[in-house]
Amino acid sequence: MEKASHLSVIVDLSPTQWHLSAQADNQYPLSIQTFLSQLLAFLNTHIASQHENTLAVFGALPGKSVMLYSSTDVVADDAIAPDANSYPPFKAVDSTVVQNMMYEFDAFQKSDHEPPCDLVGALTKALCYINRITHPSTTANSAAEDPSILPDPRILILSVSPDLSPSYIPIMNSIFSAQKLKVTIDICKIYGPDTVFLQQAAHLTNGSYIYLERRDALLQYLIMSFLSPPAIRKVLAVPKQDKVDFRAACFCHKNIVDIGFVCSVCLSIFCQPVPVCSTCRTKFPIKTLQRLNASRPSLNPVNSRNSLPLANLNNASPRPTPTRNLNGVS
Amino acid sequence: MPSVQSLQPGDISTSQNSPHVLLPFLQSQPQNTLTRLYQRPSSCLSIFRLLGPLERQLIMNLLWLESAIPTNTMAAWVVPEGKKLYNDALTVMTGLHIIQNPTVKLALNSTFRSSLRQAITGGGNTGSFGVPADKDDKRQPNAIELLDAYALERWETILHYMVSSGQGQLPTKPSSGVLYLLQRSELMKANHGATLQITSSGFQFLLHSPHDQLWDLLLQYLHMAEERQMDLVEVLSFLFMLSTMELGREYSTDSLSQTQKVLLEDLRDYGLIWQKKSSSKRFSPTRLATTLTSLSPSLPTSNSRTGSGTNAVGVAASSAQQGFIVLETNYRVYAYTDNPLQTAVLNLFITMKYRFPNLVVGMLTRESVRKALANGISAEQIISYLSTHAHPQMRKNNPLLPVTVQDQIRLWELERNRLKSAEGYLYKDFASQADYMYVLEYAKQLDVVLWENGAKRCFFGSLEGHANVRGFIERRTGGG
Amino acid sequence: MPPRQRDSIFIEVDSDSDVSILGDGDDDYTRSKGKGKGKATDKRKKDKGKAKAKEQAYTWEASYTRSWDTVQEDEAGSLQGAVEDWMARGRRRRLLAPAAAIRRTIIRHLILLLDLSASMMDRDMRPTRFDLSLQYAREFITEWFDQNPLGQIGVVGMRAGIGERIGEMSGNPQDVLKAIADRHRLEPVGEPSLQNAIEMARSSMSHLPTHSSREILVIFGSLTTCDPGNIHDTLDICVKNKIRISVVALAAEMKICRELCDKTGGQFGVAMNEGHFKDILFESVPPPAQRAVARTTGAGTANPAADLMMMGFPTRLPDTSPPSLCVCHSEMKSEGFLCPRCMAKVCDVPTDCDICGLMIVSSPHLARSYHHLFPVKPYQAVISLEDTPDPETSCHACARIFPTTATTTATTEGMSPLGRYQCVDCHHDFCTDCDVFVHDVIHCCPGCGK
Repeated sequence: MEKASHLSVIVDLSPTQWHLSAQADNQYPLSIQTFLSQLLAFLNTHIASQHENTLAVFGALPGKSVMLYSSTDVVADDAIAPDANSYPPFKAVDSTVVQNMMYEFDAFQKSDHEPPCDLVGALTKALCYINRITHPSTTANSAAEDPSILPDPRILILSVSPDLSPSYIPIMNSIFSAQKLKVTIDICKIYGPDTVFLQQAAHLTNGSYIYLERRDALLQYLIMSFLSPPAIRKVLAVPKQDKVDFRAACFCHKNIVDIGFVCSVCLSIFCQPVPVCSTCRTKFPIKTLQRLNASRPSLNPVNSRNSLPLANLNNASPRPTPTRNLNGVS
Repeated sequence: MPSVQSLQPGDISTSQNSPHVLLPFLQSQPQNTLTRLYQRPSSCLSIFRLLGPLERQLIMNLLWLESAIPTNTMAAWVVPEGKKLYNDALTVMTGLHIIQNPTVKLALNSTFRSSLRQAITGGGNTGSFGVPADKDDKRQPNAIELLDAYALERWETILHYMVSSGQGQLPTKPSSGVLYLLQRSELMKANHGATLQITSSGFQFLLHSPHDQLWDLLLQYLHMAEERQMDLVEVLSFLFMLSTMELGREYSTDSLSQTQKVLLEDLRDYGLIWQKKSSSKRFSPTRLATTLTSLSPSLPTSNSRTGSGTNAVGVAASSAQQGFIVLETNYRVYAYTDNPLQTAVLNLFITMKYRFPNLVVGMLTRESVRKALANGISAEQIISYLSTHAHPQMRKNNPLLPVTVQDQIRLWELERNRLKSAEGYLYKDFASQADYMYVLEYAKQLDVVLWENGAKRCFFGSLEGHANVRGFIERRTGGG
Repeated sequence: MPPRQRDSIFIEVDSDSDVSILGDGDDDYTRSKGKGKGKATDKRKKDKGKAKAKEQAYTWEASYTRSWDTVQEDEAGSLQGAVEDWMARGRRRRLLAPAAAIRRTIIRHLILLLDLSASMMDRDMRPTRFDLSLQYAREFITEWFDQNPLGQIGVVGMRAGIGERIGEMSGNPQDVLKAIADRHRLEPVGEPSLQNAIEMARSSMSHLPTHSSREILVIFGSLTTCDPGNIHDTLDICVKNKIRISVVALAAEMKICRELCDKTGGQFGVAMNEGHFKDILFESVPPPAQRAVARTTGAGTANPAADLMMMGFPTRLPDTSPPSLCVCHSEMKSEGFLCPRCMAKVCDVPTDCDICGLMIVSSPHLARSYHHLFPVKPYQAVISLEDTPDPETSCHACARIFPTTATTTATTEGMSPLGRYQCVDCHHDFCTDCDVFVHDVIHCCPGCGK
């Protein structure tokens, strides 16, 4: 039989986005309740696949991130009443995830200004957790871990929020650590516009980025694309994203830019020519500034994603763009 | 440690190809037996786990579909290089009647589908995951250490009995049910009516991993159950139920059928189940039972137990995976163990030199290996035993075992195979060279020539080809 | 005699490079070993000149580093103290590191100068100097590109008295590795010529823009050089062109080599054994901090070495898209990158767009170096829990449960007896492993995201 696999699921729990997603004017409205039941079925499927499979669930909430469940930190035995009709581990996952999620939702204060979801926190926590289980340290008494059967780690991000440009650098740093840990990051974009950073994350870690077109078929999407460990993906193909947007966020205004101005000393990106690098305080020659200001593409407003020409003018036949609305439904 | 990591995937992929031992048995069962088995969610879940990873993914892909999908649609997901694996997977699933008529459309067996769905989502009232016993206030349920110790003791009694039977010692006998099963499965044979002697398949059995050994025995048990007119579905679903139970929890016997209660007693003898006394209304599965469908070590090795009696279970489980054997290029074997069973197993193919409280030193010699070969153990089995139980210190080596020793063990095996016998016919006394050549040519076309000698005008053909060659010669002599 | 400051170099070896993840499991082991080697070699070095042969009869003995000498057991015979000691050392080092952003030259150009003279066939390093150099050069190139994704490497060989171009300047590690893949094409022969080779390297870097660094790294096994002219003239030109020369000598120190390095601001080292060879070679991997010289020349005014560059971030087309002609090779292919300005399709990045001249880089290439710029603030060791009313029960990152009581009595500076380390910004507690992991690998605090 084969190696066990570890799956860390990061759930984006932005109340605003889920509220928008459940609106009836969407083509396929998806409420958080339906989502949750399908997610739990998916989690159970992962555990069902192999006795040794491990699972961790992280929630990205507005302004904070929490671990909702992990299979290595078992909850107290009596918390879950045994039941003849369900497999005990499934029951443990379901009840723990729901319980913790409800607790977090209750603790969440309603305010006019909702801070953005802490996806970075959840992602880094997932990486720390994976680091912990794949490199069991000698100091901690990690008895459950068996050094000879290290699980194959993966991260699945279920995202509903749009890109958060201030988190560009932390997200990129997380991606590189994932590469080093040989973690595959899969992205399922459930709601909202495509996110540039997560596309890059999937591309760089050899995962797949899937934009959910039929949101009523979430579970089928999850199972067909994200359940299989990398070994199986070599036999049963998994859809990859069709194109990757390599844009970056500038350091000065946190805009997402496709043409930027880069400091040659520290490689900081700026959306407009600046006289002094804000990161390393290098002064740039006046001549360069003048030259760049002159050649600066005026017709390309730097901060608008929407006006980016997507058609490949050089291609004789334009790429068939999928029917979905790239700008999202919001 | 990169060497180890690069080694493991290879090992995994090779072992991946061999399906679980139970699957052929299930495939040989009639369809309605399987359908009845699929009615229980726990059975579906366990069978699902026994399947290979590709099969599992395919089942999951189909599980939530309401209607059958065209075969082509599913095949479109398969990459060209994976076609063969994919077709193999489909064959396995069709054999188990999980998938029906895969030529046109793919759909899961409806019973299987609904049961597996139920297993994953929970609910229903089949009670197939075992009815937990009511909390007993007077007594705490058994600690996991105790269950482990119990399972280990039972299991090692069986193995130790087997291994020492060859040496004329008589350790504690396992129960008569176990003895019968061992005899029945031809792992042991009654010698001169009285004492049981281990057979060559018994020797091979000893070198398997505990997980394989367990399934070997259970498979024999299933065959026996068939003969004893036990209901196979009940036996199987009970086993599967055990495998989904939780270690350290007590279950009630009330909901069990008569057959299953009989089963309970047998499994207690093997160490899969713990019961306070045979009349008790409650039982707890041991680690042997709960890991039936997993690949984690099913037995806490006695190494850890002897190391320090107070070791936690987790430690025991993890050290089970660690080996204890160091093999050097000079054929010396150092085994850090004080377990009589492990020593006895090693003794099968090693000449023992010294014994210390926690260390056994021996040599792999021509004589010792030939003795093992004569017992029916193959060179590959010796090598795989040594590599699976290699000491963590050894695992830093790449290759794991010294190549010289590996080769020598194989050469010793080849020594025994210098003569190969084949039944057949010798054709000789041909009238002319032309006749000889003509017949030989014909026989070669049939690919039945085992040996030929042109100078003596004779050749040796295999048994199967004889009728044809003979006919050919007769026709020729008759015609010419 | 080799330079005296070797010891300090050893401590700094991995100060900037990322800790390799593979060996992380027994990280403490490898690091203390590395440290041990430093001490051991230091000792050995003292009498290296006169009594090298006495101390080390055979080269193979060197592979048995006496790592156990450096590990001290405490009274109870436990190694815990020794292990903690190195961890504390690592923590202190991080605390000492300047918190301000460091200026580094990140767009690097390096010429690897390989000695291919007959002296490389010496067997004092196993299997030969030549084979070992090739092997290390390969590892070096991989690691170098990992840390300097926008850099370029060219390879020049010194053989039979001339400089020989082996690999053109390239930003693709595969190209460079291919250039030195064929061992037979590089068979060492004849005498080396430092001057010829350096001239060749210099000329191939002369066209480079001012904001990039120009470096030459010489792996030198010979004790002679046969030059057509005055090598000091070459040296002067290199100084003028701001080319930084580093030399790794395999035999002994030569005056000219030392001078090349000193005058151009490079590093010089003599390899004492295989491990040390690799260590000094890999010192050139992290981007060098920009030299004070460069900064003072433009004091007050704009820095001539720095410049603002316009770069485009492309869109990658998948291999399922309809094929079209690429502008660089005029070949029909499906996959490629679209220039964001003129929408031309190029095959690979980083490159300059052939149509509009825009420099196209993929943003991950740039982002790889950002952790140098924004390091995570060091966490503070929690010494006692007395003044925290409601301490966290588990690590904020990996959810490992903290021990409730102090595990060690011997408190080294910078170590928490409770195994807790606190972020100064978000005041969350982290365990020892996560502390190391966050600072060495993720470069991003899980609590505050920065």
